Amino acid sequence: MSTIGKQVRKVDGVELVTGRAKFAGDYRFPGMVYGSVKRAGVPAGRVSEIDIEKAQQIHGVLRVLTAKDIPGPNLIGVLPPFDQPLLAADEVRYAGESVALVIAETAEVARRAVEAISLTIEPIEPILTMDGALAPDARKIHENGNITLSKKLIKGDVEAAFREAEVIVEGTYETSFQDHGYLEPETVCAVPGRRFTLYASCQSPFHIRGHVAANLGVPASSVKVVQACTGGSFGGKDDVATEIGSLACIAAQQLNRPVMIAHERKESILGSNLRHAARIEIKTGAMKDGTLVARSVRILLDGGAYASESPFVTMKTLIHAAGPYVIENVEVQSTSVFTNKTYCGAFRGFGVPQVTFASESQIDELAKKLKMDRLEIRRLNGLKAGVANATGQIYEQSVGLLETIERIAERGAAQGTTAPGSGQTTEPRPESPEPADRGRYLYGTGYASVAQGISNGAEGVDVTGASVQMSQDGSVLVGIGLTELGQGSRTVWAQIASEVLGVALETVSVRLVDTDAVHDSGPTVASRSTTVGGMAVYKAATEVKQSLLSMAGLMFETEPENIELRDGFAILKMDDSARIPIPTVATAAYWTGFPLMNLAFSKAPDANFDDATHQGDIYIAYNYGTHRMDVRVDRMTGEVTVLSHQAAHDVGRVINPLGLEGQVDGASLMGFGLAHMEKIRYADGIIQNPNFADYALPSIKDRIPTETIAVEDPNPTGPFGAKGAGEPPVAASAAVFANAIADAVGVRFTKLPITREDIVEALKGGNRG
Amino acid sequence: MRIQFTCNGKRVQLDAEPDARVIDLLREELGLTGTKEGCGRGECGACTILLDGKPVNACLLLAGKIIDREIQTIEGVAGADGGLHPIQEAFLDTGAVQCGFCTPGMILSTKALLEENARPEIAEIEEALSGNLCRCTGYGKIVDGVQEASRRMSAGDTGTNGEVAA
Repeated sequence: MSTIGKQVRKVDGVELVTGRAKFAGDYRFPGMVYGSVKRAGVPAGRVSEIDIEKAQQIHGVLRVLTAKDIPGPNLIGVLPPFDQPLLAADEVRYAGESVALVIAETAEVARRAVEAISLTIEPIEPILTMDGALAPDARKIHENGNITLSKKLIKGDVEAAFREAEVIVEGTYETSFQDHGYLEPETVCAVPGRRFTLYASCQSPFHIRGHVAANLGVPASSVKVVQACTGGSFGGKDDVATEIGSLACIAAQQLNRPVMIAHERKESILGSNLRHAARIEIKTGAMKDGTLVARSVRILLDGGAYASESPFVTMKTLIHAAGPYVIENVEVQSTSVFTNKTYCGAFRGFGVPQVTFASESQIDELAKKLKMDRLEIRRLNGLKAGVANATGQIYEQSVGLLETIERIAERGAAQGTTAPGSGQTTEPRPESPEPADRGRYLYGTGYASVAQGISNGAEGVDVTGASVQMSQDGSVLVGIGLTELGQGSRTVWAQIASEVLGVALETVSVRLVDTDAVHDSGPTVASRSTTVGGMAVYKAATEVKQSLLSMAGLMFETEPENIELRDGFAILKMDDSARIPIPTVATAAYWTGFPLMNLAFSKAPDANFDDATHQGDIYIAYNYGTHRMDVRVDRMTGEVTVLSHQAAHDVGRVINPLGLEGQVDGASLMGFGLAHMEKIRYADGIIQNPNFADYALPSIKDRIPTETIAVEDPNPTGPFGAKGAGEPPVAASAAVFANAIADAVGVRFTKLPITREDIVEALKGGNRG
Repeated sequence: MRIQFTCNGKRVQLDAEPDARVIDLLREELGLTGTKEGCGRGECGACTILLDGKPVNACLLLAGKIIDREIQTIEGVAGADGGLHPIQEAFLDTGAVQCGFCTPGMILSTKALLEENARPEIAEIEEALSGNLCRCTGYGKIVDGVQEASRRMSAGDTGTNGEVAA
C-alpha cells in the first residue's frame, strides 16, 4: 500500500489555514439582501395575528413573508408525511419556531425589523414533559397523537430468562438535550435565475434540493444546491439547512435578488435540532458466573415539536440497547414522543450514546454485584464473529470487540490501575502528581464498550454514487454526493483513488458537492462516508484502472493482468524496470477510446428484518470499541481531572491515522461534554442558555488526554477493509466517564450530565467522605 | 467618519461609523472573509484578529478603536507569494484542522503566543487558546500543532514564505 494507512494531511487543508476557504457566509453577489426570522417565543399557541406594519416601515426592509407566501406545501421533514412548516401557519409547537421572514438590505436592518413584528398568539397549555405527552388525556401536539414512533425488539423469552437469572440489576437512566455546537452557525445563500442556486452550509445537499424545489413549486432539476465549506455539522445541518434554504430561495424568487440567511448563535441553539433527551428503564439478568442471560429496556426519547429524525433514532436505540454483547433474551421497546420543545434529530451517535450510558452502567453494576473484574465480564459476554447479536445478525468477520478489550487491558496494566471495581481509592496512585494532597482526591477508573452500526441499515436503502475521472496528464478528479464537514472524508476518498490508480495523492482532487455534477449519494450520516462512500470511489477508480491496464497491455503487448499501476507508472509485474508513466498511458487511452471516467455505485445489502421483532440483518458492519479512563475527583469542589483516556476501536482498516485520531479525539470530547458539562436548560418551554457563555461547550482547558488505539479486523464490505469511525467514540466516552466517576466517588449517577455540582451534592449526601 | 489603520501591512482608509464592528469592516468593506463570526459575543474566538500583535475578538472591537493601529487577519499570515507560515504548515501536519471554521482564530492566537513566548509550556498554550472554541478536534491536535510550530520556528524554520520567524 502506498497511500492507504499512511498519515497524510487533509487534502483540502491549505484553503482552511489561509482563510481562502469559502463558507456560505463568505459568498457575495451583486444586490444580495438578508433574511431573518421572527420566532414564536412561546412553546405552544395559535397564531391569530402577525402585525408586520411597523417592520415594513423600517428603512431598508424589502418584504415580510408569512406562511401564505410559500408557493409549495410549506413542509419539510425527513420521513413522509412531512410535519414541519417553514413558517408556522396556525399552530406553533415550540418557542423557536419560525413564523415570519423579514428580507432587508442589511442583516442588521432585518434583525431590527424582526423585533418590530408583533405576534398575537393565543396560548395553549404547553406539553413539556414526556409523561405529560403520554398521559391518556393529553392534548395532541400533532393530529396523530404524541408518539412519533414506538417499536419493539424481541429476541428469545425474556420473562423466562429473568426467572432463571441468578443476579438482576435494575435502574432508570436519563440524559439531557445536547446542542451540536458547531462553530459555524447555519447559513445559506440563494441566487435566483432561470434556475435557483443555493450555496449552503449543509450535510445532505440532495435532501435539501428536494424540499427547496417542492416548497418553491418547481421541479428538482430547477434547483442546484452547492455545499459551501461547512463549519462542522455533526448531524445538525440537515433539517435546519432545509428550512432556511427553502426560505432563502422563496424570498429570492419573490424579490429576484440573492438572499442570505445566516443564523446567529442564539438561533442555532433555539431553532435547530438538538440531541434527544432520554429516559431509559433497564434491567439486566446474569448467572453467577457473569453470563448475561436477559435484558429488558424501555426507552423514551423526547423528540420535541417535530418528527425530524426521531423515527430513525428510535430504531437505532432499539437495535443498540443490548450493547456489544451476546444476550440470548432481549426485549426492548423504544418510543419517541412529541413535546413543545425544540425538535430533536440527528446528532453524532444518533441515540447510541444514550443507550450505551444505560447499558454500560448496568454492566458495571453487575460486575460489582458479582464481585467480578469489569473487563472480564465484558470479555466473557462480548460479541464474537460467527455469533448472533441482538437482532440475530451474524458477522463472520470484522467483529473486533474482544481485541479492543485486550488492547485496553494491556494498556491499563501499563497504566498501573487499582483493583477493578474497587470504587474506594482514596489512596493516591503511584503516578499521582500530588501525593501531598492525600485524602482530598478520589481516584477512579472506568471501562466501557460499545458497538455502533455502520450504514443506514434499518433506516433505509443505502446507495452512493461516485465518479472518478482521469485527465490525460494523469491527474484524478473524484466526485461524490457525500459531504466533507471537517471529518476528513475528502482525504479518505482521495487516498482510495490514489491507491487504486497508483498515482500520487497530490494529483487527486475531490470536487465540492454540487447537485448538478455529482450523483445523489444519500445523506452524509451513519458513519457511512468511508465505508459506503469509499466503496463507490473504489469501484469507480477500479473501472478507470481497467482502462489504463487495457491500454498499457496494448503498449506492452501483453495481457492487462501482467501490469500493475504504482508510483505513477504502469509497470510490468515481471520486470519492475519496464514502466510507462501513467500520463502517457492516460493520453494513449483517451486517443484509443478507452473511457477515463466512470460513475460507480456502492449499494449496501438491503436491511432485512422482521418489523415486529427487529430480528434480521440490519447493518453492513459495526464499529466496536472499548474505552478506559482514569479520573481524579476533588471532593471539595467536585472538579474532575481526566488523568488518562484510551479509546480502542475496531475500524477494520485505518485509511488515514491522522484523520482517525482526529475523529476519536473530537468525538470523545463531545461525549465528555454530554457526560459532564453540557445541558440545555429549559424553563416553561423556553431555552435559558442559548449562548456559549451559559451553555458550556468544552474549551481547550477541558480537553481530555485521549489516546487512540486502532484495532484492524478487516471489513469485507468496506474499501480496503475499512469501517466508519466518526460516531462510536461519543457513546463510549460518555459511558466511560460515568463509570470512572462511579468508581471514584462510589456513587452510581443515573443522569447525564454528571456535573461538578452533582458530584459535590452526592458526596455531601454522606455516600462518601 | 474617515478612519485609517494598517491591515496586513497595508495602509487602509475607509468611511465607518465609530461604533461599526471591526469584523464587519473586514468582511464587508475589505472583503477579508477569513475572519469568521461564530457567536457575535466574544465567546468563541472564531473572529480573533491581531491588534498591534495582540489577539482580540473582532466582533467586540469597534471601528473607533483601530485608528492608526495595526491589524493582522488570517489573510496576512501566509506570505505574499502564497507560501505558508510555519504555524499553518504545522497545523496541517499535526491534524489540527478539521472543519476549519475556528482555524483562522486559532492560528492568530497561536501567532500572538509564539511571538511573545517562543517555547510555551502546555499550560501556557491552553491559557493562550482558552478563548478559542473548537468543536471538531478535541483540541489535542491543536496543542500538537502549536508545539510543532514552536519547534520549527525556534529551529529557524521560516515556513515557505520567507518571513523571519519570531
